[in-house]
Amino acid sequence: MLLIRPLQENDLDALYAMAQGAGKGLTTLPADRESLQKKIDHARETFNQRCAPEAGLYLFALEDTELGYCVGISGIQARVGLDEVFYNYRLSVTVNASRELGVHVRTPTLHLSNDMTDTTEICSLLLSDSHRGGGTGLLLSRCRFMYLDDFRKHFSAKVFAEMRGVSDENGHSPLWDALGSKFFDMEFSEADVLSGLGNKSFIAELMPKYPIYLPMLPDAARAVIGRVHNNTAPALKMLRAEGFNFNGMVDIFDGGPVLEAFIHNIRTVREGINRHVMISKKPLDTNVPAEEQVMISNRSFRDFRVTTIPAACIRPDTVNIPAEVAEALEVESGDLVRLAPLKETGRR
Amino acid sequence: MWLVRPAQPGDLKDILDIAGGQGPRMSSTLPKKEDALSAKIEQSARSFAGRNNAGESTRLLFVLEDTGTGKVQGVSGIDARAGNGQPFYNYRQDALIHASHELGVSRRVEVLYPSHALTDNTLLCSFAIRPALRGTDAFELLSRARMLFIAAHRELFTDHIVVEIQGVQTETGEVPFWDSLGRHFFNMDFETADQYSSVLSKTFIAELMPPNPIYVTLLSKAAREALGQPHQQTQATFELLQHEGFHRGCYLDIFDAGPVLEARTDTLKSVVTSHPKTLHAANTDEGELCLISAGEGEHFRSTLTTLTESLGDEIKVPVKTWTCLGKSSGDEVRITAL
Repeated sequence: MLLIRPLQENDLDALYAMAQGAGKGLTTLPADRESLQKKIDHARETFNQRCAPEAGLYLFALEDTELGYCVGISGIQARVGLDEVFYNYRLSVTVNASRELGVHVRTPTLHLSNDMTDTTEICSLLLSDSHRGGGTGLLLSRCRFMYLDDFRKHFSAKVFAEMRGVSDENGHSPLWDALGSKFFDMEFSEADVLSGLGNKSFIAELMPKYPIYLPMLPDAARAVIGRVHNNTAPALKMLRAEGFNFNGMVDIFDGGPVLEAFIHNIRTVREGINRHVMISKKPLDTNVPAEEQVMISNRSFRDFRVTTIPAACIRPDTVNIPAEVAEALEVESGDLVRLAPLKETGRR
Repeated sequence: MWLVRPAQPGDLKDILDIAGGQGPRMSSTLPKKEDALSAKIEQSARSFAGRNNAGESTRLLFVLEDTGTGKVQGVSGIDARAGNGQPFYNYRQDALIHASHELGVSRRVEVLYPSHALTDNTLLCSFAIRPALRGTDAFELLSRARMLFIAAHRELFTDHIVVEIQGVQTETGEVPFWDSLGRHFFNMDFETADQYSSVLSKTFIAELMPPNPIYVTLLSKAAREALGQPHQQTQATFELLQHEGFHRGCYLDIFDAGPVLEARTDTLKSVVTSHPKTLHAANTDEGELCLISAGEGEHFRSTLTTLTESLGDEIKVPVKTWTCLGKSSGDEVRITAL
């Protein structure tokens, strides 16, 4: 069984192995034991409500219960930009017009902005290669929306995700080469690593503060603004299906887009339903396609657990689940659980 | 003889011809259209006569006349207040230090800031001369006669004086700075923009330029190399003005990034060295060649003369110089060495 649960102390080794396998480009989860341990500690404090709600970092582990260890991770940062300054470029337009000259020129312009400050970010998604496919990535990502839905007062009304921007196989980012590197003499991959270690705002402070007129950048750099890395295309598709949209903000290093949505508009949230648990003795046919699976969450703040079951288990007032699922979710008969389709069905 | 005098309506055709031979230059204050030039000559005449219309600024236009043929061979000007009541735009080349204590990094970032700081300073402008005369004594006369005028009418001008030097342009007419910056905001080449700027005004065009500072590092290499560099053709002007006491500051032309030269008016060589003297006759044409000027306002004249004797407050120059200046024995003149 694949089970979502809060990240735990003993996940460090599995997490480190995953981060090592991920390579460059995953700045929020660097392959550094110390910084991973800090994240685990932070997440533990958050779930145990021993830190201020706005400082919360909710990290969820995907455990393969047969293997007994964590094979994926995803997270929610309650608010960004509170300790350090959170920077983006806002892709905006400057219009230069003169009737007398017959001039009406639109110039795309990047403005440095802190607009995402105090907003909830979904982050840190990483899944082992061994577990890709079959909707596992969807579960790992979308379980967060069920959490956001049930505990809205801990989060901002709007949530966003920063998508990895374009870089080549050697770790070169066209935007960084044309812009960032002119102000900060460093390769993109190095800057990226520094970012992951918590130095992003320091680097950002060395970046240009005045607007950047895009026609002054080379074509290769302009072409990647608001575009995602090929490896991120599935994540982009998934978030779009959930109702997330590009909000005009891009990453100051690689130009990757920021996608955002209001929590109440997220598909998983809108399509979620509550049911009372009824433990069934009938064995469960778990071998159903992703389209016919639903996520089921125990709605617990401290010990949030989610797995998937066939949609056929849902009855008018109840959901019938086998004992092992109830045990994994730590629920009993009569408890109220929340259900949402794992995959968009296109019916609505 | 070469004579510098205030421009008159009759000089229109000659000036148009000279201005037309200049090639595109947006910062020039010399119109290439007949109507605009005619209006400028009329305004200049009012300024020389001290009869400017209400709200009209003092803008002076001088011409270089070959007295033998009566043909005008060059033109130069002074705007008493740069911008003439409107903002006068430049880029100020400045630097920011982008530093991080945490990362141990400190980096100098060159920035061009749009600036109005030079507005209302006296501006030397509208200089154009037949190419064959570039670098000659007549060339020096045409340029420096303005300094003599300023010396004689000091109260009309400000303490700080500026002049814009044409920037780099390729042999095929491209302006690298414009192509890397201005062009993006106008969708037109330098020559087309230049045509508009001669019909409308430099201020008008400048106001369509991006209002935010520009990072030098984002300009093309050719544009970066052109910053503050004078056009090859202006080398003679550049050297003459430096000799006169002008120096390069931090301001650049906003269209071609040519340098703006600045000076304290009271330290200009022509102003410091030209003293009022009384005119007397010399019996010979021999002697040292000097710049001489006389007359107030619309009667201002300046020419090149030989000087045989300069004792105390009196000078002896040939009578043909008197005729040229429209002066006679006992009148007051100013003289300075070439």
